[in-house]
Amino acid sequence: MKVVNIALANLRRMLRERSNLFFVFILPIAIILLIGVEFGGGFVPVVGVVSPEEQGLAGLIRDALGETAGIDTSDFESDEELVSAVERGRVQVGVFVPADLEAALQRGEQVEIGFVVRPDGFGPQLQSVIASAVSHVMAPVGAAQFAMAETDREFATALDQARALAPAIPEVEVETTTMGEAIFPPSMGRFDLGAPQQLVLFTFLTALTGSAALILSRRLGVSSRMLSTPTTVNTIVAGESAGRLAVAFLQGIYIMALSWVIFRVDWGEPLGALLILLVFSAVGGGAGMLMGSVFSNDQQAGGIAVVIGLGMAALGGAMLPLELFSPTLRTVAHITPHAWALDGFAELVRRGGNTFDILPELAVLVIYAVVLFALAAWRLRVAITRPG
Amino acid sequence: MGAATQIARKDLKLRVRDRSAIIIGIIAPLALAFIFNLVFGNTFDPGGIVFAYGLVDQDRTELSGAFIEVLESAEEEGILSVEPYGDSRGARSAIEGDEIDAFFELPDGFGEDIITAASPEIDVVGDIDEPTATQIATSIAEQFATGVETAQLAVATTASLRGAPVTPELIGSLRGDPADAATAYQFAEDAVPTRQLDGATYFAAGMAVFFLFFTVQFGVLGLLEEEREGTLPRLMAAPIGRVAVVAGKALLAFALGVISMTILVLGTQTLMGARWGVPLGVALLIVAGVLAAVGIMGLVAAGAKTAEGAGNLGSIIAVILGMLGGVFFPVGGSGDFLSRLTYITPHAWFMRGLGDLADGAPWSAALPAVGAILLFAVVTGGVAWLLLRRRLIT
Repeated sequence: MKVVNIALANLRRMLRERSNLFFVFILPIAIILLIGVEFGGGFVPVVGVVSPEEQGLAGLIRDALGETAGIDTSDFESDEELVSAVERGRVQVGVFVPADLEAALQRGEQVEIGFVVRPDGFGPQLQSVIASAVSHVMAPVGAAQFAMAETDREFATALDQARALAPAIPEVEVETTTMGEAIFPPSMGRFDLGAPQQLVLFTFLTALTGSAALILSRRLGVSSRMLSTPTTVNTIVAGESAGRLAVAFLQGIYIMALSWVIFRVDWGEPLGALLILLVFSAVGGGAGMLMGSVFSNDQQAGGIAVVIGLGMAALGGAMLPLELFSPTLRTVAHITPHAWALDGFAELVRRGGNTFDILPELAVLVIYAVVLFALAAWRLRVAITRPG
Repeated sequence: MGAATQIARKDLKLRVRDRSAIIIGIIAPLALAFIFNLVFGNTFDPGGIVFAYGLVDQDRTELSGAFIEVLESAEEEGILSVEPYGDSRGARSAIEGDEIDAFFELPDGFGEDIITAASPEIDVVGDIDEPTATQIATSIAEQFATGVETAQLAVATTASLRGAPVTPELIGSLRGDPADAATAYQFAEDAVPTRQLDGATYFAAGMAVFFLFFTVQFGVLGLLEEEREGTLPRLMAAPIGRVAVVAGKALLAFALGVISMTILVLGTQTLMGARWGVPLGVALLIVAGVLAAVGIMGLVAAGAKTAEGAGNLGSIIAVILGMLGGVFFPVGGSGDFLSRLTYITPHAWFMRGLGDLADGAPWSAALPAVGAILLFAVVTGGVAWLLLRRRLIT
């Protein structure tokens, strides 16, 4: 079939370009890896600590911080390093444990723990997390200081007494529970969120930038030469359409397969996932063909393709997850086919849905594809049958 | 250098007329920075997060009142908000409705349980999608709990040292307030300036420096294109010398880079409210950045066989450096390896230099970054020049 031949020629041409090997095959996997490594673990606030000693009270405070749930602790060697880290946002909060704590406490002084935050960020809120850990360590110390003042005994004696009595003091329990359905279930792998996003971003982007190939073939006269053969315009248009779809679909299959093998990414029910990919590839292919028929300068088209491709990906939730969008923005996002495809994947992957559950999303994507291809076919016909 | 500037000027006119330079140099970065800021801007600026909490007080004694006081003073400091609810059902639906992130519940008999040591309990219920808010609520409750325990320990220790049992009389005879035992320490708080870019500036700068390398490529590839189209030997036949020809192309690339970056700085400032910093510092960073871009892309061109090959390889390198340099998303936040790897790109230094200028820092704050970027420029430019000289002899 001539349609198949034209499609295969497209595919071969794409594969032969060496730079495509990078952009089509290497880059998406590299980004999935990078994003999974950087952001896959969820956001945990980091507290930077400078502690002069490893023993004694200062050491206990430092250890208490290290064991506190919900934050990560990072040790720094000098005050300047920690301040710089807070300024640059590498840690949210800086804690400076003073030296000679025991001596100051003996003198009945109040201990000052340095606390460095930025005005933006949630440093101030983190203070309660740090205070909670420090209070625990300081409890017998404070009690001893109080008792020392009341009884005029030695601090060391009072501290020993306080430490001995501490276990007998009734605890006030804090019981924490969570409620609601997690948007991102804990069972989700660290690469599971990024993979569908990158799939959607790249297949669409590649389809758009592939329009440059179509423009070149028009400019170099290949398309009109095809016309001079006993091939109908419809066949050429169908062939080019199939070619665009094939390129996008091939890239998509590759990303799915490789991410499943290397990163153990869960794509949900296979049939559903493949259907989303197929229909989305059609949308991308149609968009690419429309661009290829409308623009005449392949360099210009390339630049515009990047803007549209990345812009739609951002808007459609392929960079920041849709769930983190504001409600208004989330509605607006559904102008893009990306949002619908990602909704489909979310249903399959996070909620364990099957093909029936994603029929609405598939239907919308099919409509996009049909409209785009129809427009593109019309424009392409005009473009290649135009004299000269 | 008259010949070089003439070549540059002629090429500049050609490039501007061929709208692709305008698209890559100005429209693309501006449009993408705008879109990114629109979509992600808010998430990026954590600025002044206020956690919304609820409170269910079933106890209504002095002790539960003390806890409410703690919450209210935190509310006054502006770090959280507290909404009272009659019962836990109301508070739970508030969590479901995304009105609050978590709530505290003080059960009936809480105050009594503390006095009679009958396992008093504070309950914290958090939205599963708000782990940080929940953690902070837990900490607030725990700090209060520890405070109560510390006061009790203070009294017990005093009594034990006096050799007497804990009785109301003993408590009455105390000079100080046992609650003060919980404040044996305090935080000496200090605020530091921000040396990190806010959302709008981050995207503006990131896209600007990313597309800079493509813009510069237009100028640099010109040399190879002339080679391909046969105009190069004609140029060489003119009495202007090899240096002038290469310098002309380099000058063009430099001009394109500086012009587009300047327009982007002004454009993003007006359109997105991006804050680039004190002009002299920004100017130094831009000049250094453009020189580095010319050097790197020049090196690619000098080593490539064809214009097309150079274009492809250049694009690949520009994308890799951009990604590693953190122009699309922050790199190196976790893990030492990536945070060091990112600094082999001029992009990361450019962003860092701008960060150093943030919050009204003086222009000299950018000098370390400028120096690092110039190093890239000198090394790559030097090698490129050597390769090009050899190439143009043949």
